[in-house]
Parts: sequence; C-alpha cells; structure tokens
Amino acid sequence: MRNILPHCLSAAALLACSTAPLAADLNLSGLAATCNNCHGVGGVSAGSSMASLAGQNRAYLEMVMLQWKTGERFSTTMGRLLAGYSEDEIKALAAYYAEKPWTPAVQELDPKLIRQGGFVLDRCSNCHGKTGGKTKTEDTPRLDGQWVRHIDLELEKYRDGTLALPNQKMADNAHKLKEKEVAAITAFFASQSGDKAETKSK
Amino acid sequence: MSTINRRKFIQTLAAAPLASVLTIPTAAWAAKNKNKAKQVVVVGGGFAGATAAKYLLMLDPSIKVTLIEPLKTYTSCPLSNEVVTHHRTIESLQIGYDGLTKRGVEVVHDTVTEIDPAKKSVKTQGGKTLSYDAAVVAPGIGLDFDAIEGYSEEVSKTIAHAYKGADQTLLLRGQLEAMPDGGVFVIAVPKAPFRCPPGPYERAAQVAYYCLHHGKPKSKVLILDSNDSFAKKALFEQSWEALYPGMIEWVAGSAGGTVERIDGEARTVATAFDEHKADVLNFIPRHDAGSLAKGAGLTNEAGWCEVVPLTMESAVHKGIYVVGDACKGGTPEFPMPKSAHMGMTQAKVAAGAIVASLNGLAPPVPYYANTCYSLAAPDYGFSVVQVYRVEDNQFVYVQEAGGVSPIEAPPIQRRLEAQYADGWFLNVMADAFT
Repeated sequence: MRNILPHCLSAAALLACSTAPLAADLNLSGLAATCNNCHGVGGVSAGSSMASLAGQNRAYLEMVMLQWKTGERFSTTMGRLLAGYSEDEIKALAAYYAEKPWTPAVQELDPKLIRQGGFVLDRCSNCHGKTGGKTKTEDTPRLDGQWVRHIDLELEKYRDGTLALPNQKMADNAHKLKEKEVAAITAFFASQSGDKAETKSK
Repeated sequence: MSTINRRKFIQTLAAAPLASVLTIPTAAWAAKNKNKAKQVVVVGGGFAGATAAKYLLMLDPSIKVTLIEPLKTYTSCPLSNEVVTHHRTIESLQIGYDGLTKRGVEVVHDTVTEIDPAKKSVKTQGGKTLSYDAAVVAPGIGLDFDAIEGYSEEVSKTIAHAYKGADQTLLLRGQLEAMPDGGVFVIAVPKAPFRCPPGPYERAAQVAYYCLHHGKPKSKVLILDSNDSFAKKALFEQSWEALYPGMIEWVAGSAGGTVERIDGEARTVATAFDEHKADVLNFIPRHDAGSLAKGAGLTNEAGWCEVVPLTMESAVHKGIYVVGDACKGGTPEFPMPKSAHMGMTQAKVAAGAIVASLNGLAPPVPYYANTCYSLAAPDYGFSVVQVYRVEDNQFVYVQEAGGVSPIEAPPIQRRLEAQYADGWFLNVMADAFT
C-alpha cells in the first residue's frame, strides 16, 4: 500500500497536467489563435486561397514571416500584420504550426492535369521533392496536398515579375514554365497526399 | 490478504473516478461530471459568440458551455453586399450550429431577456434560468429605429437597412433588381461608430458594378453620409473612379450629407440643405449595443460596452465578458473596429482569460488583430489591418503595423486581395462555427 499511493498520486498529477490548461499553453495558443481566423484552426485552412500552415517546414515559415515583416518579400496583408509581432513571437508561431500534423486539403482536381503535371515537374522537384513533400532544404515549402488555388496564386506572384520576391531561383523557374504547365504542376502537387515515404524526416 | 487488498485497491482506483478518490479535480473527470463543472453561458451566436463558445471548450474541455441564440441559421454580414448584387447566394453566407454541438457546446435556441450580474444568471424568453461562473455577452448591434423622423422598425420592412439579417439583404437585392436604368440608389450612412465601417462604401461599389453589368449603366449611387470621412476612403475613391466613373457620388456630413428625416412612401430623404428622391433608398440607422446589454447595465452613456483590455471582461460587471460589435470602438478616437475578424480575436482573448480565471491562472497575454477586406468588384479587393497591444490597461494601436493597402499598387494586388477575401471568409466561418 505504501508504495502504491505515491505512485498513483504522481499518475493523477500527470493526468491533471495533461488536461488542465497551463499558463504557457494559453499564451501560445492565444498568439496563434489570431492566425486561425485566416489560416484555419491549428493552421488547417478551410479556404482554398489561404495556405494551410499545419506541418509546414518550420524554417520556411520563419523565413517568409520575417521577410514579410521587414518588407523584403511582397505581401498583401501579412507584412502589415507581422510588423506588429516580435521576432520571438514569429519564431514561436513557426514552431507552433510546424509541430502540427500535415493535413492535405480535400479538394477537387482534374485527373488529366494531375497526370500531365507528373511529366513536367522536373523544374520544381529538385527543390520541392518528387511529390512536394520531401523538400531539399527546410526553408523550402512543402506542397503535397496544399490548396491548389493557393499554389496557383503563389506562382502567379512569381510570374507577375513586378513584385519583390527574394528567391531568384524560384522566380527564374516560374518564368520558364509554359502557361499550360502551371495548372498541371499545381494540380499534381495539390493532389499528393503527404506520402510518408516522401515526407521529410523530422 | 495484503495482496488481495492491494489488488482490490487498484481496481477501485481504476473503476472510480481517479480524482474523486484523490480529491484532485481533473479536466477528464470533470468532463464526465458536468453538473459539477464550471458553467459558462454565451449570449449570442454570431461570429464572436460562436468563437468564444468553441475556444472555451478547446482550451478546457471540462467547462460546461451553453450558447444561447434565437436563430437556427446564422447569416454572415461580411460579403453580404455581394448577395445584394447577385454575385453570391445568401445560402453561401449561412451556417447552422451543428459544428458547435458536435464539439460539445450546448446550443439553446432561445432569446435571452435578462442578464443578472449580481445573481450571475441569465433568463430566457422560453422560461429558462441559467446560472454561470462566467458569461460571454455577444449580442451584436441594436439598431436605433426611432432616431430619425420617418424611420421605424415598421418602415424598415420596405426601406431596407440591410445591415442585419438575411431578410434585409434580400429585400434590398429585390429593390435593386427592380430599379430602372437611370435610377438613383441612395445609401444613408449613420454617424460612426457602426458595424463594418467600410460596408456602405463597398455597397456603393457593388451596386454600381451590378448596374453596369445588368443593363442599368445610367444609374447613380448617392451616398449621404453623416460623417466627414470613412474607412479606406482613398482606396474606395480610387476604385470608384477606375471602375465606375461618374456613377458614385459621396456627400460628407458637413457638406449636407446628414439625413435628418425620411419619407418611406415617397422614398425621399431630407438633409439640412436638400431633399433627394431615391429609386431605392437604403437607410442605415444609428447603432448601439442593444437593449439586452443596456438592461444589464453593461453600456456607457454612448450605448456601447466598455471592457478591461487585458481580458475583455466588462469594465462594469465582473464575470461578464463582452465581445464583438457591442464593444466600444469604431471611432477615430478609439479605432478598434466592429468587424467579424475583430470580434473573433476578442472572443479568443476572452476565452483564454475565462479559462485562466476558472483554473486559478493569471490571464494570458492578449493578442488583438483585425483584417478586413472590401470588394469594389469581384476581382478588385483591398484591405485594412490593425494590430493592438495592451499597455497600462489600455488598448494601444501598434503604429509600426497595420494600415490600408497601398494606393500605388501593382494591379495584381487588387486581384490577390479579392481572392484572399474569399479565403478569409471561408476560414472565419469554419473557425467560428465548426
């Protein structure tokens, strides 16, 4: 009896810890909660023009947010928002969303485009990986199962040519794509379902 | 014997609620014993109220959350101008409360008639009395139908305000549809603060778009404003000039824009200077926090609810947290705008503060941000952003952040922002109601 009770007590304490909110959790969830408005609960977007953030590469999230904050990278609203957040808060947000499970979007895609995309993605797969899940570097976004409309809009920004976008290699490749290749490639990446074999190891 | 006893004791521990044996309350236990759980009552199921209910349960599943809302279907005000102009259906703006029910919120379709801050209870029309440990009050806006001669709730059945509720949006849509080419569509804007500060000016653009593309290109939109400026003014004027040259006229309050009385039957409005005849008259009455908040003593002399910035708790009554459009805000002196986005971030701050308070913790750091898109045409959007911090118990607008979309912008920016407005809408609906 004597050695059971302390054991149970600690188990109960653990249970309490895992279910009752902690002050630190409330601060972090409160910080991230403002992002959920546009990017979905836990960063799983419900609106196809907005990126899902859950499970995205941490280094990528951190890099683009800092670039938006300083204005080095063009944004519509993100720069104006992030100018109000500290570097530490931005880093905490990147880590918070990167920790969440990657959740491919459920979306309707044209099978013909997906098939065509599989043939012409060499220009993209070097950096983003063959399915868009296993990126060459951590500061490259994964694309497998991202919303197709969001990827389309990102490519449109690069192909526009008038916007400040710091990744020259990406800009060059985006410009080299033929019009009909764009829709095929984005459909292909969007159709991928976060295959584990291709998913980067943590 | 000792072995049996030991096993028996372990079985007892496993079968009985662990915490009751050890007298340490755990959330998991409390979730199964909601009678003893802390009770939070949420009054009002709009964007702010629904968000508060959902986030309370997400942060602490042991709380019993009851949401009281008269309507079974919510209709979003954001993007409703696109319904007036047929670009979007009213159904695309509607959602029910099943998502919240599935999350464990008890949704009661009833009308709250009284909030008693002393007894910590609310009464409903249906005869229910619910007591609470904390209450979230999110009643939205009340419309002051009687502030101007000639307008009343009765008159609003023919002279639409289209600022609250699906019926009103559809009434205005029908009137625009029936308007002849060359008709005058008058929008009368009340003195600020009002919900959706750019709403009337977006509506002007949307109406012009509709007229241009539906065989009414000679029509005009006349905005009679009780104010001398408005949200995103330069961006709106730029868009009106670019997209609808000569179709939209704005009259500032000091230049004779303030409507003093209306005649619903003749569809005329009178200002201090002129009388205007409208083919469609869209009269938006003055707003306040509404009679429920007033009755509970939550409002200031201007009719709005003041809150403690750290927590969104009422500055008047402890234990009541006011979120959304009923809160003070939306004036040049106190800019926190009355928008869905703002109300949702307020609700999330309130949820965090309530959960902290019920668990004996200090309130978390509050984060307030607003993003508000306006659509001058289906493919032409722009936005305003605000970020607020709390310093010395005051809301502080973060000067380095925020602001409106640039006037000098590459054409792609307006197109992108229209796309993001749609993504924003789908996400706020999901974030609040599912």
